[in-house]
Amino acid sequence: MKLLWLLFRNVMRNRRRTVLTVSSTAASLFLVTTLLTVLHEFQNPTQTPESALRLVTRHKVSLFNAIPIAYLEKIKKVEGVQSVCGSMWFGGVYKDPSNFFAQFSVNTEQFFQVYPDLLMPEDQKEAFLKDRTGAIAGNTLAERFRWKVGERIHLKGALFQMDPELTLRGIYEKGPDDGGSLYFHWEYFNEGMHNAGFTGTYAIRARTAEDVPRVAAKVDALFQNSTVPTKTETEKAFVLGFISMLGNVQLLITSICSVVIFTIVLVAANTMAMSIRERVREIGILKAVGFQSRQVLGLLLGESIFLSVSGALIGSLGARLIFSNLNLPALTGGFLQRVDITPLMLSICVGIGVLVGILAAGIPAWKASQRPAADALRRVA
Amino acid sequence: MRIPLKYNLGSLWVRRVGSVMTALGIGLTVSIFIIMLALVHGLNSTFVETGQDNQLVVIRAGALNEVNSYFDRELYQTVRLLPGISLNESKEPLASGEIIVVINHPRLTGEASNIMVRGMTGAGLSVRPEAKLVKGRWFRRGLREIVVSESLSKRFQNMRFEDTIHMSRSEWKVVGIFNAGGTAYDSEIWTDYEDVAQDWDRPIFSSILLKADSQGAAQAIVRRIADDRRIHLQAISQREYYLSQTSSSIGIKALGTFIATLMGIGSCFAAMNMMYGSVMSRSREIGTLRALGFSRWSILTSFLLESVCLSLAGGILGCLMALPLHGLSTATANFATFSEIIFNFRITFIILLQGLFFATIVGVLGGGLPARRASQISILQSMRE
Repeated sequence: MKLLWLLFRNVMRNRRRTVLTVSSTAASLFLVTTLLTVLHEFQNPTQTPESALRLVTRHKVSLFNAIPIAYLEKIKKVEGVQSVCGSMWFGGVYKDPSNFFAQFSVNTEQFFQVYPDLLMPEDQKEAFLKDRTGAIAGNTLAERFRWKVGERIHLKGALFQMDPELTLRGIYEKGPDDGGSLYFHWEYFNEGMHNAGFTGTYAIRARTAEDVPRVAAKVDALFQNSTVPTKTETEKAFVLGFISMLGNVQLLITSICSVVIFTIVLVAANTMAMSIRERVREIGILKAVGFQSRQVLGLLLGESIFLSVSGALIGSLGARLIFSNLNLPALTGGFLQRVDITPLMLSICVGIGVLVGILAAGIPAWKASQRPAADALRRVA
Repeated sequence: MRIPLKYNLGSLWVRRVGSVMTALGIGLTVSIFIIMLALVHGLNSTFVETGQDNQLVVIRAGALNEVNSYFDRELYQTVRLLPGISLNESKEPLASGEIIVVINHPRLTGEASNIMVRGMTGAGLSVRPEAKLVKGRWFRRGLREIVVSESLSKRFQNMRFEDTIHMSRSEWKVVGIFNAGGTAYDSEIWTDYEDVAQDWDRPIFSSILLKADSQGAAQAIVRRIADDRRIHLQAISQREYYLSQTSSSIGIKALGTFIATLMGIGSCFAAMNMMYGSVMSRSREIGTLRALGFSRWSILTSFLLESVCLSLAGGILGCLMALPLHGLSTATANFATFSEIIFNFRITFIILLQGLFFATIVGVLGGGLPARRASQISILQSMRE
């Protein structure tokens, strides 16, 4: 206990140095926490028990190829399919091309069965189902544009020659995309397309987890020899397919994080080296009055770890505080829905802090603790 | 009276371990800063350098780009015969009706990405003089032959010379490899229009690329197409068309700014720490300098200069560490067309200067307060210590 007090007094001895080192570490670990969290969220799309049961069917060649709406009834009859709905990316422009967000026209008949994780009051659901030109939007999207139920939303078609005039009938929470999309009726879209009768993908909900791989195989087998063959995969695999398009993001982010951590080690090592150099005589005195090398080493390492862990805590808790109070979808144009710094990420950060502390003070602390007391006392600082 | 720079360099040398560690820290920060700038610049210049003067891209009115544009075949004939379009030796207009399809294809590393396939008619190659054959020959009609860019060929499976890949309903043979000089075309597969239209069962055009006689003629064509309500098309200068796609780099730019700012703040604190330490342990020395007649101002500038020297050394180190990445090929998603765009890291002289400037700022911000502290040291007090 006394040692801990001594450690704390040592940390507080040169307050300016402590503050500067901790601030430097905090800024860097703020960055590391943010980058790692974003990377983690990219690689692990939100998984709920519902989303694990969902599959996505698309054209085998690519997402750009449409598939006939006639497949809907055929997929419904496949064994193990609980519900299914067609979903077509609309990609229209709302007021200005920079207001980008996801828009889908969907078959509404089984829509809410496929997405039971999309939470919405029953009366809003009904109002949406009844209104052919109705639409629903996620809460983060609605907040971004300050939409209220009843809002008129005019989209201008970019991919399609059709300009839907929609009325917002409901605002949902959660859902497969954390409330970031807009959905409207496929029938309305199809009318605008002169009844061309196609959709982009089908979202399927399997009855049980065991049914998931079977449904995928059966659906694809059904259309294997047709002019429009399909590819069915789990919702997670489908989302990860998008992420892989971003390219070497993982490599970029992990290498930046390692460089940042390395710089913190340099900063912390510099601080500890300065602090130990000034204290050679003092350490000699400690040893002369009976402290063991092990205790001295512990004292110095503890001081270094204390510094870097405080920096890590300030940085990562600061990131948590800042990101939970920012309207990220509005700031990033819908690219980031949220940056949720989890307790796991906080502990990883503290772990990095401990590691940095040990690496930074390791060699000088070891040397100082091994130096014979007489030798240390002889040195003039 | 100025304190000679030699004094500062000497002081840095005395504390060489600390100096090197601080400089290395700043250097790493600067190298990340340079790398992010090089990424943005590389991606942007891919688009900036695509296109020829007096050439127009014609797409459906309202469409944002070729990928989401489509129109009837007859419209191609209408546009192609407009006055003002250049003619080749056999008096054919230099206009290529094209179809764009996107395929999802695995990279060498396994994960798949989208690639743009461009089916072109006769004049397609004449209006793209930037593309040169590296190997083999150009495609021929009706044979399901493709030519692949050199960068794609190195990045994706089954795209080497004479490989065969499956697209839509047929097997397509790679009969040539081309290089389009680092432009956006270096991320495309090229083949014949009819082959694509048949195989994908899409008897439509996505776009027309045409060459006008002069700038005036190009403007006249743009106006004419815009005014003709029946055809519902729009013509954009080819350069502008690709310039607008530089918006793809916004994400990298934002990420780079975020990283550079935070790493910069961290480096400032680190430099400040080092300089304070250095100032405090030199208070007697500073007192002596003052006693010798150097003014407070000389001390302030001298210490600021010392900090800037340290950070500039770090900056130079950072430039050297980033340089090997120059020319390295990488790729990301082009959000305009939703397909892979391949580009190179480009480190220019300007970017290196920006890196050094960044280092100087870190030096000034980090050294400012310690230098002021040094200039405030009183002669009497420091001598008594």
